[in-house]
Amino acid sequence: MTGKGDTVRGTREMSMPLAPDWRLLPTAVRAVVIVALTVACVATPGFFSLPNILSLLTTVSFMGCVAVGMTLITISGNIMSFSLGATAGAAAMVFIVAVNIGGIGIGLIAALAVAALVSAAQGFAVGWVRANPIIVSIAAVALIYGTAEIFTRHSSIYFKPGTGIEILRGKLGGVPLEFVVLLCVTAAGQFILYLTRFGRNLYMMGSSFRAAEAAGVKTWRTVTGAYLWAGAFTGLAGVMLAIRYDGANMDYGVGYEYDAIAAVLVGGTLMKGGHGSALRTLAGAMIIAIVQAMLLLRGFRQEWQYLFTGLIVFAVILLHSSGERR
Amino acid sequence: MPEVLSVEGLGKSYTGVRALHDVSFSLGSGEIRGICGENGAGKSTFVKILMGITQPDSGSIRIAGRARDIPGPRQAQGMGLGIVAQELSLAPHLSILDNIWLGSAGVPLLHRRQALRERAQKALDALGVGDWDLNGRVGALTMGQRQIVEIARLLARDTQVLILDEPTATLSDSEIERILAVLRELKAQGRSVIYISHRLGEIFELCDTVTVFRNGECVATKPVQEVSREGLIELMLGRPFDEMYPQHHANPDARNALVIERLTVPGMVHDFSAVAPRGKILCVAGQIGSGAAMVTRAAAGLLPDAIGRLTLDGKTLRLGSVPHCVARNVFFLSEDRAAEGLFPPMKVLDNLVATRLDAHAPLGVLSWRALRRIATHLAERVGVDRNRLGTAAVNLSGGNQQKLLFGRTLERTEPGVLLMNEPTRGIDVGARAEIYRLMRRLCDLGYALVMTSSDLEEVVGIADIVVTMYRGRTVARYEGERIAMSTILADITHPAEQAAR
Repeated sequence: MTGKGDTVRGTREMSMPLAPDWRLLPTAVRAVVIVALTVACVATPGFFSLPNILSLLTTVSFMGCVAVGMTLITISGNIMSFSLGATAGAAAMVFIVAVNIGGIGIGLIAALAVAALVSAAQGFAVGWVRANPIIVSIAAVALIYGTAEIFTRHSSIYFKPGTGIEILRGKLGGVPLEFVVLLCVTAAGQFILYLTRFGRNLYMMGSSFRAAEAAGVKTWRTVTGAYLWAGAFTGLAGVMLAIRYDGANMDYGVGYEYDAIAAVLVGGTLMKGGHGSALRTLAGAMIIAIVQAMLLLRGFRQEWQYLFTGLIVFAVILLHSSGERR
Repeated sequence: MPEVLSVEGLGKSYTGVRALHDVSFSLGSGEIRGICGENGAGKSTFVKILMGITQPDSGSIRIAGRARDIPGPRQAQGMGLGIVAQELSLAPHLSILDNIWLGSAGVPLLHRRQALRERAQKALDALGVGDWDLNGRVGALTMGQRQIVEIARLLARDTQVLILDEPTATLSDSEIERILAVLRELKAQGRSVIYISHRLGEIFELCDTVTVFRNGECVATKPVQEVSREGLIELMLGRPFDEMYPQHHANPDARNALVIERLTVPGMVHDFSAVAPRGKILCVAGQIGSGAAMVTRAAAGLLPDAIGRLTLDGKTLRLGSVPHCVARNVFFLSEDRAAEGLFPPMKVLDNLVATRLDAHAPLGVLSWRALRRIATHLAERVGVDRNRLGTAAVNLSGGNQQKLLFGRTLERTEPGVLLMNEPTRGIDVGARAEIYRLMRRLCDLGYALVMTSSDLEEVVGIADIVVTMYRGRTVARYEGERIAMSTILADITHPAEQAAR
């Protein structure tokens, strides 16, 4: 293995000597962020208390699962999907309805299948019809909300008694079950991206769509696959939401797509595609969740959380772009 | 000849890498100076310094006799320096007039259209294209015409020294002739031109003097009459140069072949038929827009609306499906490596194995160990340093990138077919000879090669069979001894001859 410094020097062709080494910028920023976060956490009273850590690990899980799904879409070169939050809400509702009818197993299958299919349909529109991914996802938000609200008449739905859903609200070795699920989802995402042919195709397509086509990658299948997995992971988030809050309505999913986008960006996955990983997104999700938890502990209201998340995302976008200009 | 630009002892290093060292250069008014050198020789750094894009570490620049600093592109413009870059910087949806003044420092906030229009018209007149409609959209012009708009843009800004960086790489022969004529006209008006090109033919045809860069140094400046073609190549390489084009081989496996019958691409190719035997190089020659490049694209499955019959070794090859072609070992190498060949941010390793994941992914799970082994082997086969497998492909030189793409197609279960558009575009002489050798080696392995090229010298040098095309139709077919530059040139440029056939 060559060290990082060696590869950097090795990559430099004599023909294109570039300006000072801006590649060190991300490392520097990363170090500063980690130090600043640690200091802030230590300085926040109650941050390292058990209840806070547990609640943090739970909240990060919902957003994290959506974000790992989003990562696949981003790496494939289709930027992002705005419909994943709505998909999570819809999956939560489908889960409750199906559990009430046929039990937990049926519920899980139904919720994941619906979320995966709804998302895969968007993937098909993007991959086969070559529709603009952002527009497709915006249209999908309206479709999902509309359909759900017609069926539920804008009310919440709940588990009926005796479904045994309570046992899923527990912990595994002291860690909230949700977080265990997030770790599994991240591992699955990482496996898909690094060790499968499908994952390689995602990277190829994201780094150059035309080159991927010329190399014989079945692009529409790959895009549809990315959305399918994103939907399935998001469906899992929806299921966990329904279990945790003991009910569901369409408002549950609101904002998760935004937090997920923030997590993907903060993790350092490039919006133009072809670069990134599920582990990066996990790190990004943790950072966002830590900042939000800290603000909450320091008595800032939810509005301030939005503001800060917005600022972080903006800063990251500026950093990414400054890297590109050089 | 009064001196318009002179440079003394120019040096520039980038974090320890010496890009330019002690370069001295002087250009007279009305002089056309060619600049040659391999990729990485320092040509682009030199140009960047002249354009104020980067600042030199040492040395001085004098313009029209006065010592000047060039802090930025805007100032360079003010001092009478201007560049037509490789990638054109025109806005296709705007008019010629708007494009001429786009980004000019001389345009006041409130446009005085009439004055600007007159000056733009004068610039077009000076280039002999005074009849063009200034209100016409640039998007409707051909690549060559756009190049002329770029030059007009520089003239309208009263540019005295015009720098052209590979201006003809994407042009057809008649368009190249036109650009060269325009440049000669500028010379007659007393302006100076710095002409950077890999195409030595153009250097000899156009330039008064030629400067050769090698390893960041300016190794020679000579009048073109005093240097031979081989001499120039040796100056660029820094070593004796034996042979650009390897020997053609006598015993190809002519029984098996890629047979193209009545291939038609609506609006682009009409009724094209040809046979590409294994072990030979078939070259489809034609100008840009002749349809030659579409023949290879269609055969590679990239054009869904292509019709016709293709067979490989007697078995039908389905049109319009790249995955099907790749499965039959039919590969396409695009003229646009950056956009349609490479995965620029991905590693050399990933790029090498891009088309063979299927074979090493039981149940879709990749065997990285096998892939790494194959990539190492392929890198050695095509002559890419195996220590660079982890490097991003975008950081390789053009020649190495092309070798990488060749590598993708090697070591299949059986030899395949390579469809190549402009296989040496943007590649310097040294790497070019290597690419040609690689192509011959593939022939020896039993590959069938089909290529298109707008570089006629290359066509004559490398091809075993040449099919000429004009406006989507086949003109003639030549083989072996009958391949000659003059007849090919006549075929692809003169419709009258075609009518007579």
